[in-house]
Amino acid sequence: MSASGAVIEVDNVSKWYGDVVAVNGISVEVFPGITGLLGPNGAGKTTLLHLITGLAACSEGSVTVLGEPSRNNPALYRRVGVMTEKEGVYGFLTGRQFLESTAKMHGLSSVAPAVDRALEIVGMADAQSRRLGGYSRGMRQRMRLAAALVHDPKVLVLDEPLSGTDPRQRLEFHAAMIRFAEQGRTVLVSSHILEEVELLADRIVLMVSGKLAAAGDIRAIREKLDEQAYHVRIVTDAPRPLAAALVNLDEVDSVNLGPDSDLVVLSRNVGVLQEAIPRLARELGARLFRVEPQDESLESIFGYVVER
Amino acid sequence: MKEVFLLSIRQLTGPVRLGLILLLSALPVGLAAILAVTAGGEGVGRDDFVNAMLSGLLVAGVLPIVVMTLGTAAFGNELEDGTLGNLALMPLARWQIVMPKLLATLTISAPIIIVSGVVTALIGVGFEVRAALSVAVALLLGVAAYSAIFTWTGLMTGRALAVALLYVILWEGVIGSLIEGVGYLSVRGYTLAIMHGLDSSAFEAVGDRVIALPAAVVGALLVTAVFYGLAVWRLTRMDVP
Repeated sequence: MSASGAVIEVDNVSKWYGDVVAVNGISVEVFPGITGLLGPNGAGKTTLLHLITGLAACSEGSVTVLGEPSRNNPALYRRVGVMTEKEGVYGFLTGRQFLESTAKMHGLSSVAPAVDRALEIVGMADAQSRRLGGYSRGMRQRMRLAAALVHDPKVLVLDEPLSGTDPRQRLEFHAAMIRFAEQGRTVLVSSHILEEVELLADRIVLMVSGKLAAAGDIRAIREKLDEQAYHVRIVTDAPRPLAAALVNLDEVDSVNLGPDSDLVVLSRNVGVLQEAIPRLARELGARLFRVEPQDESLESIFGYVVER
Repeated sequence: MKEVFLLSIRQLTGPVRLGLILLLSALPVGLAAILAVTAGGEGVGRDDFVNAMLSGLLVAGVLPIVVMTLGTAAFGNELEDGTLGNLALMPLARWQIVMPKLLATLTISAPIIIVSGVVTALIGVGFEVRAALSVAVALLLGVAAYSAIFTWTGLMTGRALAVALLYVILWEGVIGSLIEGVGYLSVRGYTLAIMHGLDSSAFEAVGDRVIALPAAVVGALLVTAVFYGLAVWRLTRMDVP
């Protein structure tokens, strides 16, 4: 662990494949607790996690986990559990055999108790004797999570762990991760769904187009987001009456009528606007042809947030 | 290492792959038996048999194809299924992952190839212990060298089987038979040279085109060690998908 208390330190890391820059000059620290790595698909989250876990080499910069370099340092994996985004499993093994094999490769002396504990955490004890090849996607994900937990790691890195799981499994996963973090351990979990991360994480690292868009306390970022004004473009057959109705809303700062009779609405509360536009159109008998945000990319939404 | 070895053995012994390998390995035995029966009392000339069945079919065909089927899959399967990350994230030095993969290929292919070769030789060359042992030792070293080459190939490319096939056809086959010096850099050349070196009377037929026994043994061991090292180096350097 570093002097700042960071468990994972990413220092000016870039990764490129030929001309394609997947991760661009990211510096971030991850502390004990749960940190969400957030960003749209293709943002570079998986590449960053590969760099953090040592599966890929940095083109530039460095990564340390628990104070040690993560690349070409297999001994580090005794203290780090990783669940990659690849859902491949050894279909010919039963769930229990998979965990036993993983535990043995980690060099655990007491395999059976470790496997039982991991199975209990993910709630897969009943399915442990079935072959992984016959599992549903959600079950495979849970068993892969159990494999990441079987050696009782201090740091857990999870790439989209909730894909394929049902709502009940998600709740159980949340509870398990919170318990894990309460023991002073570190969880870094990636997702492209803001709401999912918001439920789970204390802090977020937001990536867009390979760059760090924001990092820090999720509530502070949320508050800043709420202060941010959004532009929404509306195409309707009754622009003037709709503009008059919209401008009366407290949440709407301005409404501009464009040359093609389209409306551009500036609002600080997109949630209210989303509800108000169809309601007002219905009341006015206006037809809506197009309603689209002008600030489409996450980068434009989050870009103003102070980096920490 | 034991866990990776056991996992690899199970990965490589799927019924389809194993069935194909066994079928292919039975081919020289079956053909030798047919030849022995149909040739009747006259028999097939020993030299013709060695050239056609042992040098041609077994060493040039069955040996590399069986080993490439397994060797390229040792890592190829992991890359294709996306499970290589599971292994790469274990607290195991890279050589501790490559070695059991190599041993798994060797453990499955060596007995099959050796049994096939020895039985074929016994039928065609006659029930001679020395000839049988020569075939067994030569094939074992040939399997080891090919295992290392194809294990490395499986890590280098997603089209490992096609690349391996091209290598066997072009280098070991066409170029090896056209250019004399290639025998020093050919697993087929090493295998035949060891076979001949250990029993020159039984395998006289290949005597005019093989290198010396010590050079062949060193060559086979060197190829095994070099490609094993290259595979470890590759796994250490590569970005695991």
